[in-house]
Amino acid sequence: MRSSAFRSILLSATILGLAAPAFADDDIGALSPEKAAKVFAAKPIYSPYAGRNFPTRPFFGDTHLHTGASFDAGAFGARLTPRDAYRFARGEEITASSGQPAKLSRPLDFLVVTDHSDNMGMFPDLFAGKPEVIADPQAKTWYDMIKSGQGGDAAIQIIQAFSAGTIPKSMMYGPETRPYKNAWQDTIKAAEEYNDPGRFTAVIGYEWTSNTAGNNLHRNVIFRDNGDKADQIVPYTTLKPLGSDNPRDLWKWMQAYEDKTGGSVLAIAHNGNLSNGRMFPLIESFTNKPVDKEYVEQRAKWERLYEATQTKGDGETHPTLSPNDEFANFERWDFGNLDGSVAKTPDMLEFEYARSALRNGLKLEAELGTNPYKFGMVGSSDAHTGLSALEEENFFGKTTPQEPSPERMLSTFFTNPKTKIKVMDWQVSASGYAAVWATENTREALWDAMQRKETYGTTGPRVVVRFFGGWDFEQADAETRNPGAIGYAKGVPMGGDLTAAPEGKVPTFLVAALKDPIGANLDRYQIVKGWLDDKDQTHEQVYDVAWGGDRKLGADGKLPSVGSTVDVENATWKNTIGASELIAVWKDPAFDPKQKAFYYGRVIEIPTPRWTAYDAKRFGTKPLEGTQMTVTERAYTSPIWYTP
Amino acid sequence: MLKRLLREPLAHFIILALAIFSVYGLLNRGGAQAPDRIIVTAPKIEQLTAIFGKTWQRPPTAEEFKGLVDDYVKEEIYVREALALGLDKDDAVIRRRLSLKMGFMNDSIVDAQTPTSGELDAYLKAHPTVFEIEPMLAFQQVFLNPDQHGDKTGQDAASILKTLATNPATDPTMLGDVSLLPVELPLTGKSSIGQTFGTDFAEALDKATLGQWTGPVTSSFGLHLIKLSERRPGRLPALNEVRDDVVREWANDKRKEFEERRLEELLKRYAVVIEYPAKTSAIR
Repeated sequence: MRSSAFRSILLSATILGLAAPAFADDDIGALSPEKAAKVFAAKPIYSPYAGRNFPTRPFFGDTHLHTGASFDAGAFGARLTPRDAYRFARGEEITASSGQPAKLSRPLDFLVVTDHSDNMGMFPDLFAGKPEVIADPQAKTWYDMIKSGQGGDAAIQIIQAFSAGTIPKSMMYGPETRPYKNAWQDTIKAAEEYNDPGRFTAVIGYEWTSNTAGNNLHRNVIFRDNGDKADQIVPYTTLKPLGSDNPRDLWKWMQAYEDKTGGSVLAIAHNGNLSNGRMFPLIESFTNKPVDKEYVEQRAKWERLYEATQTKGDGETHPTLSPNDEFANFERWDFGNLDGSVAKTPDMLEFEYARSALRNGLKLEAELGTNPYKFGMVGSSDAHTGLSALEEENFFGKTTPQEPSPERMLSTFFTNPKTKIKVMDWQVSASGYAAVWATENTREALWDAMQRKETYGTTGPRVVVRFFGGWDFEQADAETRNPGAIGYAKGVPMGGDLTAAPEGKVPTFLVAALKDPIGANLDRYQIVKGWLDDKDQTHEQVYDVAWGGDRKLGADGKLPSVGSTVDVENATWKNTIGASELIAVWKDPAFDPKQKAFYYGRVIEIPTPRWTAYDAKRFGTKPLEGTQMTVTERAYTSPIWYTP
Repeated sequence: MLKRLLREPLAHFIILALAIFSVYGLLNRGGAQAPDRIIVTAPKIEQLTAIFGKTWQRPPTAEEFKGLVDDYVKEEIYVREALALGLDKDDAVIRRRLSLKMGFMNDSIVDAQTPTSGELDAYLKAHPTVFEIEPMLAFQQVFLNPDQHGDKTGQDAASILKTLATNPATDPTMLGDVSLLPVELPLTGKSSIGQTFGTDFAEALDKATLGQWTGPVTSSFGLHLIKLSERRPGRLPALNEVRDDVVREWANDKRKEFEERRLEELLKRYAVVIEYPAKTSAIR
């Protein structure tokens, strides 16, 4: 199909002629206001906002950001707090840990600060006016000073007393009796302060960092709730006896939280590419037994989303798994596990990437009745800087030493002398963000949209992506003013389900994408299909569905490359290729109503300069040989599943 | 034989040594020989069980309780041994954590303070740009995609504008090109409009004449004819509208102020000597 992107366009005169004959060009002069009122009276008032109950714009944010409260971020030199992270995300200029000013091109709509639950730490709460503290006259004096606004003076006196060893005994209690609060409570407090429903949502969350033997099984836990519920618990950790590195125990913890508080949580796993074959198992690494009914049910229940792209590499698919997908080789991190202690072998890949997991999920569903890998997609940063800054030309790195500097693209990120695994800083990816089709920008609405998987991930740009599946979409639906309204009326959005194909019908999809208003044009919109055949084998196929420019599908069914306008040396590009919008209706040409299948959208931007190109230009740094200097940014939608 | 032995210098040495060691041993009762004591106090147990309770929403079983205590004892032993070996020295994580804790002390001081309404009002007035409520705009727009019109984009825009201007009853949503961009928006913050259409568009819209079709305005998508239907100008809110925000910003400033004053005060007690290497390219 040729770009149906713009085939639809009707010029004003045509529309006037079709829609309201009274307005035909030759009749314009004759129309009186009375006549017009009569003509339009019978017509429903066209307002896409009257009585709408579906999301009209996606909210962009980051579900995975660390601050100085994460022990490893702190060790790397991050000094920013959760408060700083929220301030930066809502668009304020702040000073990065490296001392340079940092500001986003535009605010994010939401942020989840997810510091590691392990080693979150306890902090003395010396001056909160606890009775046992202010029983001492000196402590009482200071407390009163603070209360009366002389806190600065009190602080100085307290510091002097500390250093002189004259601090009152009541403030020197042993750690068991001193009033304590933990970093979790401080994190909650920061989120409560910055949560501004409707404008900026500060979501409460943390990262459970299961990392046994360096194999990444990390999950972020995202709360729907406010501080009053989140404060009733402490985050789940990975160390025995209190915690565990087995995701099954995390799920039990999530259940206990919901049972006790009446709250709601979901989990988002990430970096299967660093799990060495353990992220999406058929055989559980903890028991060496095939996953069972309980595993698949619990995983499907709690792990609603997967973080398919982030700074430590892209997780959609791998060239070995998808040899016919020319876009599969993207920001690849396939060296080994997280600490580089064990090198990657090809047999691990199948259990690490989103697409192969979606395929294996169909297989497990056929076997066990539940698809454990029925997840939606998001992207997020995993930055350890407190700065969710993932645009190529405004990238503040993954860790504090990777904040902008003339040297950052020349340094080594980590190296393991035993396995000879070496990752360079230039390989860190400026990716990504989570886009959520929520009805409003609040904790509840965002979480509900995540729970129903109405989300997509981008590698940084704020591309608007629609993806609807149904049985009755037709070409005309791609030619309307409000594809959202038609999409919801005739189908299900991304993350949804199609079941029991009506006789003689095949799945149809209404797809649309709008470029980032300050970003690059779009190359193409693709649909990735995966299915399970009668012999219990899974397959995948990538279809080009809509594209910009005057290109035709080749004999092999492939769309020619869009080309490139990137001037690497000057770190610039032009929007003279591709299209600013893509919209189309697509029908599955090879549908078998008896086969389980999934479909998801992938939107590819035209090539643009990678962060390394901006660095080379701005700092005059000569890149190391092999440094990737361009990028084809992209977005991955949550799938729509077909179940017979 | 014994007398002779007692006269031997070696014997004197041995006797003296034994005497010294036994006195040393007596003085150091509970020292090297006797075990160090680890007391798991009742409040510590309460803390351990409280953390378990907060994690699992139930008290620990007997077995779990034993695990908690055993783990605490193990940790205490390791910590003491590690400190004795000096393993805490030059550990980046420990240093950063201690530094972070100093920051938390500031937070405690700030948290304990309650600013008066007078203070907050003064703060609000001193920082108008921080609390200003941005302009809200409601509008309709007709989009022209240059991919469809090519060189004629401007011309076609002008002709649609003429239609709209001469026929007020024209339904603008039926004009122009199909796009995912909304054809109309109810009262929306200017920056939010900028996020969808680009900031140049939002600026042009804010300057447009109310109730009149004008344009075209250029965005990165193409040309737009616009009609501003309502404008609510930006304004400085009253304290009761934004009290929480003002408290938050006020506290942030206080925290920064304490941080600076504290460092200033502490610096007085230190003579900082920086010994730059004689020659290095790293320092410019």
